[in-house]
Amino acid sequence: MDIWTLLEYAAWGLSAIFGLYIIIDWFKTDTTYSDEVLMSSREGALEAMTEEQHKH
Amino acid sequence: MSDVDITSKEMDGMGPKGTKIGLARVLGPAHVWALGVGIVLVGEYMGWNFSVGKGGAYAALIACWFAGILYSCVAMIDSEVTSTVAAAGGQYTQAKHIVGPLMAFNVGLYLVFAYTMLEAANAITFGFLIETVAGMTGHEGLDQRPFIVLAIMFLAWLNYRGVLATLTFNLVITAIAFIAIIVLFLATSPIFGASPLRHVELMTGLPYGWLGVLAAMHFGLWYYLGIEGTCQAAEEVRSPARSLPFGTLAGIMTLLIAASLTWYVCVGLIPWEYLGQAGVPLFDAARLTGSTTLMILLGIGTMFATLASANGCINDASRAWFAMGRDHYLPDWFGAVHPTFRTPYRSIIFLVPIALIFALGAPIDQVITFSILSGLLEYTFMPLNVIMFRRKWPLDSIRRGYEHPFHPIPALVLLSLCGVTYFAVFLGYGTQLVAMISFYIIVSLWFHFWRYRFVRRGAQFTMPWPRPLGY
Amino acid sequence: MAKYIPPVQSKIGQIIDVIVLLVLAIGALYVPLFMKLAGSDVTHVVPENPTWESLGQNATMVEKWNQLGYADAASAAEIITARFDYSFSIGSLLVMILVIVGYYFIMLKFSEKEYRDVISEKFDG
Repeated sequence: MDIWTLLEYAAWGLSAIFGLYIIIDWFKTDTTYSDEVLMSSREGALEAMTEEQHKH
Repeated sequence: MSDVDITSKEMDGMGPKGTKIGLARVLGPAHVWALGVGIVLVGEYMGWNFSVGKGGAYAALIACWFAGILYSCVAMIDSEVTSTVAAAGGQYTQAKHIVGPLMAFNVGLYLVFAYTMLEAANAITFGFLIETVAGMTGHEGLDQRPFIVLAIMFLAWLNYRGVLATLTFNLVITAIAFIAIIVLFLATSPIFGASPLRHVELMTGLPYGWLGVLAAMHFGLWYYLGIEGTCQAAEEVRSPARSLPFGTLAGIMTLLIAASLTWYVCVGLIPWEYLGQAGVPLFDAARLTGSTTLMILLGIGTMFATLASANGCINDASRAWFAMGRDHYLPDWFGAVHPTFRTPYRSIIFLVPIALIFALGAPIDQVITFSILSGLLEYTFMPLNVIMFRRKWPLDSIRRGYEHPFHPIPALVLLSLCGVTYFAVFLGYGTQLVAMISFYIIVSLWFHFWRYRFVRRGAQFTMPWPRPLGY
Repeated sequence: MAKYIPPVQSKIGQIIDVIVLLVLAIGALYVPLFMKLAGSDVTHVVPENPTWESLGQNATMVEKWNQLGYADAASAAEIITARFDYSFSIGSLLVMILVIVGYYFIMLKFSEKEYRDVISEKFDG
């Protein structure tokens, strides 16, 4: 088995590790926090804040 | 929960009443440059040279400069609009505020498909490069798939973990890939002793006449395709009104230089018939100089350029998808932000299998054409967008971070160059063009008559602007 | 104008919507492939017993071809003589123009209608 065959296996292995990391963290996040918190991001939040400052 | 208009009196801004978790505002102008140039620079390492095949060496140069004008217009127009509409989603959010919801939905899809397809093309090229290197060391029949999958998974992981690390990584590898082009130019130029460039002997006339020059515009876009992606970072830069115009305009200047140098070196080393169909032209050019150092440098440059581009594409496609989810244009489940990493993590995850399907299952020229066409439809939208923007909100009605000069000349130039490029795509790829537009017509009808009912009306207009003129 | 309250979409409805979009997108990519309509025509007019001279290559070009790994004219002839076919019919050109203009026309018209609703709810509501 030469180095390139080893690299092929290493690439599969690393892909699986990155994939697993993402999936496990995704699961943990979705079960720890409520959707209300996770999906609270609003477009234009900064603009609204600067507007607020201008008024004061 | 989500029936909140953040610009209304009760729910103003961030903090306890509005956004609990938003995207992190951590980026500076250098990151914006890295995002824009990072996506595009791969175009100098592969793809642009098909324009040589379509019309000859001089046609490719003319296409390079005309496409350069097209993109300078894109960059100027984008800088003005996006320095005012600073939100994730970029052109999607611009369209929503300026043209209307259906246009915004289409623009959002252009963005997601252009970037996801480009990401797939990059992963395919990355796999091809690894196989080439393996072949040069005497290993035949390497399986490209694990490397394609690894590139996508690693970059998805990086994007998932946070935008600052992602774009800092992009800054480093993009800078190296750019420097590699400069080094190749300096090493082959007559400035330092004997030059291997043979322009006089290698250049020929226009093999297809002027029709070939028009046809070359199709792949001429590759020199710059994706520079408009800088807008996607709008919600994550520290001062959008300053950083976005600066990063975008510095980006287009970098690319104009890189594109001209790439053309100059390549056509001086490679016969045009070969160049017109080469897979990795800058790597081939380095090979022909006879210097092993240059060959390794440009090999690394090619690899970094593909990774930087795929990386930026994941970043941009997920921002556009996220922004559409947040507005309920798509299921709102996608509009979530990771509480620790502050990234649109569900959109990033969702687009990974899509990219894998296209990277492992579709031929590269199809993927590239799909990407170019989505880009082209987007550039056609931009002049309409800026003309309406100036009409609905004249210069004195809202403060802009950047005002582009000579309006409406850039818009009209852009519109006519888009027309030329449609014709260029039509020469040879007319069927795909019609198939693509049929797709967008069908999804438009689907959106207008079905999907739009789930979208809040007034609340999606989030910019603190006065009422548009004429409404 | 009365404020529009959108219906809440069920989870299954959301999933179906995403699948519909994906099927359409993948269809747009693969239908031209299945119909064998993709890509442009390339013609090769390779002369018999090609020489570098008959292919119009000068000494420098020959040197470069050799460096690229093409030892003789016959091996490079296929690449050198490849030409795209740019002939087209006026009819198909008109169809394309009609499709593009029609697409933008429909889209701008619908967008305008939706946009007026947005503006009136935003500024009159």
